[in-house]
Amino acid sequence: MKTMVWRFGTPWLALFALGIIPAGGSTGTGSQTLSATINPVGSITAPASASLTTSTTTFQPFHGNVAVNYQARTSAAGGGTITLSVSSDFSPSGGPSAASGALTYTCSGATLGSACSGSQTASTTSQTPVLTLPPSACTGGGGVCSTQNPNSVSLSFTLTDNPGYATGAYTANVTFTISTT
Amino acid sequence: MTLTKENTQQMTRNMMIAACALLMIAGLMQAQNTGTTTLSVVVGPEAALTVTTGTTSLTTASTAFANPYTGTTSLTYQIRTTKTTGSGTVTVKITSDFAGTGGPSVGTPPSAGDALTYTCTVSTPGTACTGSQTASTTAATSLATFGAGANSTKAGNTASTSWSLTDDPVYATGTYTATATYTISAS
Repeated sequence: MKTMVWRFGTPWLALFALGIIPAGGSTGTGSQTLSATINPVGSITAPASASLTTSTTTFQPFHGNVAVNYQARTSAAGGGTITLSVSSDFSPSGGPSAASGALTYTCSGATLGSACSGSQTASTTSQTPVLTLPPSACTGGGGVCSTQNPNSVSLSFTLTDNPGYATGAYTANVTFTISTT
Repeated sequence: MTLTKENTQQMTRNMMIAACALLMIAGLMQAQNTGTTTLSVVVGPEAALTVTTGTTSLTTASTAFANPYTGTTSLTYQIRTTKTTGSGTVTVKITSDFAGTGGPSVGTPPSAGDALTYTCTVSTPGTACTGSQTASTTAATSLATFGAGANSTKAGNTASTSWSLTDDPVYATGTYTATATYTISAS
């Protein structure tokens, strides 16, 4: 943001102080056209970490929930998506692997747009759907926009519990991407 | 500066063109942003088994006490033991002795030498019990053992017990049932 600072020299200050305005001064008006281009934009925030746990000892899947917050504005002719990909598969080796299709998820509770339907298999090589944003979507404020700010969508992850996994702690990174046009 | 009508119209046209250009640019604009979550999971030792033989009938081909009653109970097991330090077992215990008076009994055999015994068959990574084991109503007896870092397949591996029940002439005729309970554990 640019700030303009007007600086008056001492003689002018003196004139103002005395209430003296030079005779014959003129007044004028000017107009300035202000234009703002409102572009599609999206931002997304995901929790730093989430734990996948199982409540039984009989090889039932591990589960974990992740709430993703987002803000979006789409154009009248545009739309948007939120997708995810496994940017770093479970490590160290010997445990679960998203590349083998062990990690799935469902989406629910989207406060703007439509959450993915059914069970999705997370991938290390491609983006898979989380949410679709319609044209003219916008976050917050109510009216034509959503009342929530930020918006949110919940994901429920399921990880297969395979006896073949070696015991230990494993981590993977999931990257969410919001795109708007 | 005096604006002529032509000047004004030209300015209007220019502004409209600029506005259209901006709208077109806005329409082509694509914004993208990302966020990352680390998913963590702790995989611990686990074990499960399923007896795949609903009821095991013990039968004998002999009618002259020459052969014991025999039958086989099959099961599948899933197991994961801790790397380097873990272990696992499958055991079996007679949790309900043969019911009815005058028949066979695991807990109180009617004659010395009467017994319900079994031999074991276990697929890798398990190690089957050795030789003939005598089933008990008071203690779990071994069917299989597992070492550290043992992993079954996802569908499960197989094991079985081949039962042998003494055919004692003192048994009263009739049908007798007992319950054998299998237990798998992993650490």
